Amino acid sequence: MNQETIFGTRASCLWAISRVRIRRMRVGAKGFCFVFIIWIAMQSFAIQSAVAQTISPEATQHWNAARAAETQKDFKTAVSEYSKVTELEPNSAAGFVSLGQSCMEAHDFAAALSPLKRALQLDSTLLAAHQLLGYALLAQGYAAESIPHLARVHEEGALGIAQLETGQFADAIKNLQAALQKRPNDPDLLYYLGRAAGLLSKQSVDTLLAAYPKSSRADQAMAENYFVLRQMDEAQKQYELALQARPDTPNLHLELGQVFAMTSRWPQAEEQFRAEYKLQPGNAEAAYRLGDALLHEGKTHEARVALERSNELQPQMPETLYSLGKAASLEGDAAVAEKSWLALLSSEKESELAAQTHFALAALYRKQGNTAQADKEMQEFQKLKGSTQP
Amino acid sequence: MTKTLLQVARGLALVALLGASTSSLLETASPRGIDFILQNSPTPQKYLIETMPGGVALLDYNNDGLLDIFFVNGGRISHPMTTPENFDRHNPKYWNRLYRQNRDGSFTDVTEQAGLANAGDGNYGMGVAVGDYDNDGFPDLYVTSYGKNVLYHNNGNGTFTDVTAKAGVAAGGWSVSAGFFDYDNDGKLDLFVTRYMEWDTQHSKDCGGNFHTYCPPGEFPRTTNILYHNRGDGTFEDVSETSGIAAKKGHGLGVAFADYDGDGLTDIYVANDGMQQYLLHNNGNGTFKEVGLEAGAALNSDGGPLSGMGVVFQDYDNDGRPDIIVTTLPRQTYGVFHNDGHGAFSDRGLQTGISMLSGVTAGWGVGLEDFDNDGQKDLFVAQGHVLDNVEKIDPSLHYLEPSLLALNHDGRFESVDPGTRAMVAARGTAFGDLNNDGWIDAVTTVLGSHPQVFMNRGGGAHWLTIALRGTRSNRDGLGARVQVNGQTRFATTAGSYESANDKRLHFGLGTTKTARVEVTWPSGSHQVLNDVPADQFLEVREPEHP
Repeated sequence: MNQETIFGTRASCLWAISRVRIRRMRVGAKGFCFVFIIWIAMQSFAIQSAVAQTISPEATQHWNAARAAETQKDFKTAVSEYSKVTELEPNSAAGFVSLGQSCMEAHDFAAALSPLKRALQLDSTLLAAHQLLGYALLAQGYAAESIPHLARVHEEGALGIAQLETGQFADAIKNLQAALQKRPNDPDLLYYLGRAAGLLSKQSVDTLLAAYPKSSRADQAMAENYFVLRQMDEAQKQYELALQARPDTPNLHLELGQVFAMTSRWPQAEEQFRAEYKLQPGNAEAAYRLGDALLHEGKTHEARVALERSNELQPQMPETLYSLGKAASLEGDAAVAEKSWLALLSSEKESELAAQTHFALAALYRKQGNTAQADKEMQEFQKLKGSTQP
Repeated sequence: MTKTLLQVARGLALVALLGASTSSLLETASPRGIDFILQNSPTPQKYLIETMPGGVALLDYNNDGLLDIFFVNGGRISHPMTTPENFDRHNPKYWNRLYRQNRDGSFTDVTEQAGLANAGDGNYGMGVAVGDYDNDGFPDLYVTSYGKNVLYHNNGNGTFTDVTAKAGVAAGGWSVSAGFFDYDNDGKLDLFVTRYMEWDTQHSKDCGGNFHTYCPPGEFPRTTNILYHNRGDGTFEDVSETSGIAAKKGHGLGVAFADYDGDGLTDIYVANDGMQQYLLHNNGNGTFKEVGLEAGAALNSDGGPLSGMGVVFQDYDNDGRPDIIVTTLPRQTYGVFHNDGHGAFSDRGLQTGISMLSGVTAGWGVGLEDFDNDGQKDLFVAQGHVLDNVEKIDPSLHYLEPSLLALNHDGRFESVDPGTRAMVAARGTAFGDLNNDGWIDAVTTVLGSHPQVFMNRGGGAHWLTIALRGTRSNRDGLGARVQVNGQTRFATTAGSYESANDKRLHFGLGTTKTARVEVTWPSGSHQVLNDVPADQFLEVREPEHP
């Protein structure tokens, strides 16, 4: 499979996913709008009260009827009454804002666009109109048009989504991160941030491949894509090409080693991890991967040395501690095995790795004849497996 | 592991004896007369049964001294299946097949004359067990199915009779592997049947989204295994409930027997798919207790479940205790549970090298047999993924795979050429000495294709093959513990996947020309034979009086 084919296929897949996601995003944007409407209703109360005092008695009558209908969540009537207000008071920007808002409350985003645009023609400083119009446009798929309005009111979350949809990935990431600072762990924002970061990454790689298709980095990028697609033969070839061109590039041996590890070719994996470790003796991951490969080969003593080195370079990494405990246990050094696993459990309480560690400790204690402790660890294992299994 | 000088010298001597040949130990053969094709009938509906058959048995049904071969066939699956389910088993294309071996090494299809032609239209075939349940000296056949199982009594005149109804062993549901063993040491073979899941073609599922794949077992409810107690009058009693066997539901596939704790009672190991494995300890009072987890033989060393398919329960490191090897799916490694004694096992996948050999393969039939007669049992695994389109889901995996032959070097297994580069979807495997040359051969079944017959090229090392003749114990001595020059085998025809092995016990002796043979019979009697000459088929008869 040539480069164009693989990336063509991948791009198609991404495009298909993107279409689905955009649909979801629109739903999400509507969700944002809904929350926003509640907020804007409170914020615009003062404007509405002031407007009601400056319009004609007949318009005021319709205004009050619209307000009452909104209170009853009868948005259809509210829209109708606000329309009459705007007919009677065609220069009232606030009237058009309220009509637009009411349309949005009625989930008719298309109908909201015209009154909101009219409101801004009458008074371009109306922040509420910018905000509502930004959301309405975004919800309707007019992401590019929504951006200036959302930027005007610093609505970073929605602005980030609009930028994501228009391919401004770096700006989208910046705004979504800012929004997340205000609403930490918001699932919608987290989703869009992840998506923006992924697309920015893809954009960078595409640029690299277009500009330097024969470069070592292009081969590496290709190899990484093949690896993700689990096309290991192709990944191996690309990594080997990259290594031929620049054998001292950091992480190339590490990544090629993972191709071998994934296909259970552990001696070859060991060779690559060893090469990486030689290149980067201060790289804890290289030492860990080497130790892991050696462990798979049953070379427990060598594995233990590499894993201890990894633990020195980057102490308390759970994966390293787990494998170190395993290597020590296989060597018959129960004390080091126990120490490593207990250290792991001091930081890792509820993960799959924690469950594995309780299981390993149970086996260790059982071997020592410490049945009570073994049973206790087994209970912890079963408790965690019960909670981590779907 | 530090080798002693003696071990090194012994090794060198053996190499010299065997020669420095780099050619494969095994070669595939196409014995004349074997035209069987395993009809699994894959459909777009991805009925799970399609990927699960079929068994093979090596037995000497007519007692002429030559091993014969019995193959279990699947059946025709229409798409979609309608009820009542009909697998067209009356059609010769879908028959199980019995091939009688002739003196010249060719085979003759004797299916029809033996009365084994039609396995019942509602039964989609799976596996086979072999045992002389009535101690008449002729091996009987038990064929498992999705549907009803069938017990064929060997009449001793070249024919079989379906005695299922009388015996009461039809089971039902989806049976997979089965095995005869004597759990109460009463001299009569009992029967254990694994069952896979609660499933039928009308409640099948298709997984994998657009890829349309077979579903994993977790998509369907677990079910119970079955234990039949032999009453000795040609009938069996279903004791699944009273024995405690039915207390544990699972996704049972393979089954193997051995006395793992040396209490003189045969225990059961069940390979479960996608969950913990079951070690059923024989309590000696007609009941069993599942002890897999506490014994350390249920999960891998990371506490992960195994997709257990086939299983072998024999001693790979010659310490006298039976170990367990379970074949699994890729991204797991085959389970290697070393028997540490005192009822405890430990995962030795890494130390034995078997983990390294099995990370991306799917294993089914499995055996620990001494293929090179060096006195250490080697590993053979029939391989091939469950999913016939696995490459679409994970291009680094393959549906068709070669078989694995790994030689045992003091407990460390190293892969060697299995004798063919053919990539197949292999399933059942049976082991035995087909040509009586003292070297172990193997037969595997292949989905949608002819079986593979692996003939051992042989060599210069010595061997001893023992046939047990029980008198107070069951006639074939199943369950006996036989030790020869420090090696141990547990007499059984069960194990592997859906298959039944030659009942004779084979030992490689390396450079040694004589053997000391010890037999501990299920009856408890102990027998020792000294200075037994190598390179012979030896019948050991159980003393009739204690």
